[in-house]
Amino acid sequence: MDFLLNDEQRQIVEMVRELAKEKVAPYAAQWDAEERFPHELVEVFAEAGLLGLAVPEEYGGLGAHPLTRVAVIEELAKVDASAALLVAVQDLGMTPILVGASEEQKARWLPKFASGEWLSAFGLTEPGAGSDPGGMVMRARREGDEYVLNGTKIFISNGSVAHGVTVFARTDPDSRGPKGITAFFVEKGTPGFTAVPMKGKLGLRASDTAELVFENCRIPAANRLGEEGEGFSIAMKTLDRSRPNIAAQALGVAQGAFDYALGYIQERQQFGRPVASFQGLQFMLAEMATEIEAARGLTYQAAIRVHEEGKDGARLVTANRYSAMAKMYATDVAMRVTTDAVQLLGGYGIMRDYPVERMMRDAKIFQIYEGTNQIQKIVIARSFLGGAKG
Amino acid sequence: MHIAVCIKQILDPEISPRAFKINREAKLAEQAGASLVIGPFDLNALEVAIQLKEKHGAKVTVLTFGEEKAQDALRRALAMGADEAVLVAGDGAASREPSVTAKVLAAAIRQLEPVDLVLCGRQSGEWDYGQVPGLLAEELGLPLVPFVPRLDVSGDGFRLERESDAGNVVVEAPKGLVVSITNAQDNNPRLPKVRDIMMANRKPIKKLGAADLGLDEASASASAGRLEVLDLFIPEVDSECEFVEGDDGAEKAANLVKKLLERKVI
Ligand SMILES: Cc1cc2nc3c(=O)[nH]c(=O)nc-3n(C[C@H](O)[C@H](O)[C@H](O)COP(=O)(O)OP(=O)(O)OC[C@H]3O[C@@H](n4cnc5c(N)ncnc54)[C@H](O)[C@@H]3O)c2cc1C
Repeated sequence: MDFLLNDEQRQIVEMVRELAKEKVAPYAAQWDAEERFPHELVEVFAEAGLLGLAVPEEYGGLGAHPLTRVAVIEELAKVDASAALLVAVQDLGMTPILVGASEEQKARWLPKFASGEWLSAFGLTEPGAGSDPGGMVMRARREGDEYVLNGTKIFISNGSVAHGVTVFARTDPDSRGPKGITAFFVEKGTPGFTAVPMKGKLGLRASDTAELVFENCRIPAANRLGEEGEGFSIAMKTLDRSRPNIAAQALGVAQGAFDYALGYIQERQQFGRPVASFQGLQFMLAEMATEIEAARGLTYQAAIRVHEEGKDGARLVTANRYSAMAKMYATDVAMRVTTDAVQLLGGYGIMRDYPVERMMRDAKIFQIYEGTNQIQKIVIARSFLGGAKG
Repeated sequence: MHIAVCIKQILDPEISPRAFKINREAKLAEQAGASLVIGPFDLNALEVAIQLKEKHGAKVTVLTFGEEKAQDALRRALAMGADEAVLVAGDGAASREPSVTAKVLAAAIRQLEPVDLVLCGRQSGEWDYGQVPGLLAEELGLPLVPFVPRLDVSGDGFRLERESDAGNVVVEAPKGLVVSITNAQDNNPRLPKVRDIMMANRKPIKKLGAADLGLDEASASASAGRLEVLDLFIPEVDSECEFVEGDDGAEKAANLVKKLLERKVI
């Protein structure tokens, strides 16, 4: 599928491969074991330009094609899913600005994200509103030229390390479901806003996940993205665009696990020959490789369709079907392939000295976040059936 | 100051031994799944050139004698900070013998605006003849300072450190010389940034053929070589493991010596 990449994209991927080999791969196991966010990596990624990929050139970014981002995320995820997520979340957190903010707001915030000076985060999920974000209860009350935020967001990637977070809250207290929700941009350090890291995760342990607490947090009305009531639509536009990134993350992890297992089974001897000579394992290998390639096809296709259809912040009409398919399929493939990779390594597969057990733990989360894979099925089915509900 | 850097695109030397395959008939390494990269010492040479440019201001022109796909190597060099790139195109150029490569590169360098410094990696990283820098100096009629980890501008010329068997030697040379660069901590090649890669793809690459260089086709072709590769193979290494028996350390040692003598290791 890499024939879909042009020369420039291929060269960028090569650079990222070298960067990952030098600055990520040697430390990934340690960051995972210590459950530590690698602050040192932020600078490395910023310097290389990986944190400003999504920002248009007029705001100091690189204006890279979504396929470039997908290829970069995939390459990083081959060695460390958490490192890849750093790039994906930078994209996720600023997409609401790209699709929903005014020119003046874009000029104010985007250059800081483009340079990597600022990290971003996307705060949609609440303790009582995960798959159903329309069930959110966080409030935003207008007072003069300010809004007062009260509520809690949970499981927010980069939540405690981000300098700016987009959050979604109800401006209309009487509203229900998707209506009456508005998007806001909140800067770190705003009084009344605290972020508490959530520790003890199964995987993605080098990625920051935080609970965001807003207690009478006052922000200028100028920090509102779009109009009151447009929040839900901004959130959905964002997720439609970011799902190929998560698919790419899953794809990279699957490829990384496959590559590792492929090398291992040719070295490991049992019954006097390499275990790769057993047809039972060869069949597993063939299935893993084929699924990975199919996932890549779907992921790249989704990225290209999102780009074509999503120009100027438009709501996707058909591309969201493909971005949901890619997210669902690639993350399921990652789960299967990493599990099989552990199997191919036998007992060694479950040991921390080998990378595949970490990849398997990381993969589980891909099936859950950015909309669980059950929710992706709803999105896909609705794309055929319209608003009809099951 | 104008610096010319000669680079060669080679098979990634860091691929796993298992992935390394050769075609014994053609007497060539097979690319298979391996990527093509700039030779490691050539990267050091590029880094040295770019550091000189950053410090003193210079124009850096990068040249390669290679196939069309060697443009990727030139793009990487542009992304690292080179200003101009020249591809001297030739099928199978990568396996030309050093004297032919040197002749072609010299002809290309003569076409550039006058150069103050020509840098090469000390050897390519695959065939590793290490002869192009010397032969190139000869072709250009310039002095050669080999095995240089670092150099700087000094007065009207350069001050260079050169590795020798006895230690490092410091020499000075006027402008107009060829230098072969060896690796050192301070010439570790930089990774280009995404933006540099994008900009590099917008720069033109100048393409020249033998005719543009005033060379007849034959003198740049494989037939110009006088070196014949008779055979190419990957040496097979057999390994065996045997535990030396013995009741105590002394007996084990004695048995070990006996075995080593038997096998004529000592
Ligand atoms: C590591 C991590 C990082 C995250 N990062 C972010 C972030 O940056 N920003 C953010 O906003 N959120 C983030 N999330 C939250 C994530 O998006 C939610 O966890 C996810 O949407 C699921 O919500 P929930 O956890 O409340 O599960 P629930 O919604 O409670 O789901 C429980 C189960 O019910 C199923 N289910 C629910 N509704 C349906 C239905 N209609 N039909 C069929 N099945 C259904 C689900 O598929 C799931 O299996 C992150 C989560 C994790 C684990």
